[in-house]
Amino acid sequence: MSLQDMPIRRKLIVIVLFTTVTTVLLMRALSLAYEFAVFRKTTLQHLATVGHVVAANSTGALAFSNPNDGSEILSALRTEPHIVAAALYDEHGALFARYPAGTPDSLFPIRPKQPGYHYDRLSLIAFEPVAEGDRSLGTLYIRLETGDIMRQWIQSSIGIALVVIALAVIVAYLISHALQKQISVPILALAETARAISDRRDYSVRASKRGEDELGLLTDAFNHMLAQIQTFNQTLEHRVEARTAELEVANKELEAFSYSVSHDLRAPLRAVDGFSQAVLEDYGSKLPAEGHRYLQIIRDGAQRMGVLIDDLLTFSRLSRMDLVRQKVQNRALVDEALRELNSQSDGREIDWRIAELPPCEGDPALLKQVWVNLLSNALKYTRKREAVRIEIGSRRENNQDVFFVRDNGTGFDMQYADKLFGVFQRLHRAEEFEGTGVGLAIVQRIVHRHGGRIWAKAAVDRGAEFSFTLGEETNHA
Amino acid sequence: MRGFSHRFLVFCALLGLSGRTLPAQPETSKEKEVKAAFLFNFAQFVEWPGAAFSDAHAPLIIGLLGDDPFGGTLDATVQGETVNGRPLLVQRYRRVEEIKTCHILFISDSEKARLPRIFATLKGRPILTAGDSEGFARSGGMIRFITEKRVRFRINREAAAAAGLTISSKMLRAAEILRPEGA
Repeated sequence: MSLQDMPIRRKLIVIVLFTTVTTVLLMRALSLAYEFAVFRKTTLQHLATVGHVVAANSTGALAFSNPNDGSEILSALRTEPHIVAAALYDEHGALFARYPAGTPDSLFPIRPKQPGYHYDRLSLIAFEPVAEGDRSLGTLYIRLETGDIMRQWIQSSIGIALVVIALAVIVAYLISHALQKQISVPILALAETARAISDRRDYSVRASKRGEDELGLLTDAFNHMLAQIQTFNQTLEHRVEARTAELEVANKELEAFSYSVSHDLRAPLRAVDGFSQAVLEDYGSKLPAEGHRYLQIIRDGAQRMGVLIDDLLTFSRLSRMDLVRQKVQNRALVDEALRELNSQSDGREIDWRIAELPPCEGDPALLKQVWVNLLSNALKYTRKREAVRIEIGSRRENNQDVFFVRDNGTGFDMQYADKLFGVFQRLHRAEEFEGTGVGLAIVQRIVHRHGGRIWAKAAVDRGAEFSFTLGEETNHA
Repeated sequence: MRGFSHRFLVFCALLGLSGRTLPAQPETSKEKEVKAAFLFNFAQFVEWPGAAFSDAHAPLIIGLLGDDPFGGTLDATVQGETVNGRPLLVQRYRRVEEIKTCHILFISDSEKARLPRIFATLKGRPILTAGDSEGFARSGGMIRFITEKRVRFRINREAAAAAGLTISSKMLRAAEILRPEGA
C-alpha cells in the first residue's frame, strides 16, 4: 500500500517510525565513524607507548650487541596478542632481534624505514628509533594487526545497532501510537462527520472540537460552513416553496384563461365559418366570382383558426392532464400514427424505413401524438422532394433508448434550433408549409412530462433528425 | 646513524690505508671495533657523580692505560661525538700516576701484572675501569670484556658502586654480572 492511500493513523506511525529508524541509523553511522577514527587513533597511541617503552628498554641490548637480551625484551610483547611481529634493527639497519622467535627474515622489512607510525590497510606498522641520549642505536619495528579487533568491533557494533534500532522502533511505535491520536482523532472525527452529512444530507450535524490548533480551526470552519449551508438550504427551500406556489397559481390562472379564451373563441369562429358557408350555399348564385373567392378565404381563415385553437387547447390540456402510464409498444403507435396520416402520404412515393422499436413506459395516447406530430412534420417538409426517405428507429445512448425520426426534407438552419420547440415558433413561412407552430411545442411538452428530452439536428436542404428519450433510464434486456 | 656511518667510513678508510702495512686480522679488527664502540656506549649508560666533571660542558675523557690495543679505532669511534653535550676525548697514559681527570679507563692487558696496584691507586675515584685481562673483574676491575662468539662483558657492580658510579639497568641487562664472592 502506498503511503498516500494509507489511513492517517498508520501514515503518522509510519512517518514517525521511518524518521526514528533513519535518525538512529544516521547516529549509529556517525558514532561508528567517530569510534573508528578514535579506535585507530587510540590504537596508534597505545602502540606508540608500547613502542617507546620497548625501544627505551632495548638500548642496552643494541648498544652492547646482545641479541638474546633484545629477543627477551621483544618477547614481553606477547602480552599484546594483536602485535604479530616485532624486530630490532641495529644501527647498520641489519635485523638484530625478532619476535616471535624463529620467524623467518622474509616476514620482516629488509631494512627499517623512516621512523613513524602508519596504517597499511588493517595493519599498524611502527618504526621507532632506539636511542640512548643523543646516540642512535637502531630501530624498533612493530606490526599490529587490527583485523580481529575490527571484526569483533564491527560485529558488536552491528549487534548494538540492531538492539538500539529495535528498542527505538518499539519506543517510537508506542509513543507515536499514543500521540498520533492527537492528530488523527480530530481528522477522523471530521471525516466521519463529513461522511455522515453527505450520506444523510443532514446539515444539522456538527463536528466536535478538541483543541485550539489548526485542526480546531478546521473544525470551526467546517462547522461554520455547515451552519451556512443549513441556512442557505432553509432559505432556498422557503424561497422555492414560495416561488412554486406563486408559479402554480400563475400557471393555473393562465391555463384557465387560455382554456376559456380558446373555448370561447370557438363559438364566434363557428358562426363566422357557418354563416360564410350559408351565404355561399343560399346566395352563391347571386354572388360574383370575386365574392365566392372572398368568402372562401374567410372560411379558410376561420378553419385555420379553429385548428389553431384546437391545438392550443390540446397544448394547455397537456399540462393539466394526468399521465396514464403503461407499457407501450412503440411500433404499434407508429403504425397507428401512419394510418392517421394516410391522407398526407397518399399518392406519394415515400421510402419508409421503419426499424424495430423497443417498448417503453408511458401514456399511449400522448405518445401516439408525439409520433403523429413528428411524422406529420417529416411528411410536410419532404413534400417538395423527389425521392423521399423517412427513417424511424432507435439507438442506445447512455443507457437510454433514443427514438428518432429522420427525413431528407428541407431541414432548417441550426442557429434557429432553440426556437424549434416554442409555441407559435415557425422556421418557414405559412405560405410555404402550412401549420400552426404548436406541433413541436406539444411534442416537447409530452416528452418533458414523461421525463425525457427532445432535440433536433438538421441542415438547410439536407433533412432533419428529431430524437427524443422517455424517462430517466430505461432498461430492457 | 649518521654518526656511525661517518665512523664506519673512517674505519674503512683506515683499514684500506693500513691494509697493506698491517697483517690482515679481520676478527681482531672487528673485535677492536666492537670494544671501542662499547667503551663509547658506556658513556651513555653510566652516570658519574657531579664532581667528576669540572663543569656542564667539560669533556668526557676515555683513557687508555698501557699499550694501546685499538690503534686508531677508538679515536675514530669517538671522533666528533658528544654525550649529553660533552665532547669525548681520548687520552693515553703510560703509568697510573699520570691519570688526573678520567671517566672511562681501559686498562691494557700489558698492565695485567700491575692491576692490584692500579686498582688501589684508583680506589674511590669515579673512574669506570674496563679491560680484557683474565681475572680483571675479580681483581677489582669494573667491566671485563669477554670474547667468545661475540664480545660480551662482565660487570663488577660492587666495584662500580664503590666508585660512586651508577650503571643503567639496561646496560646491566645486556651484561653478565660478576657474582659477589661467597654468594
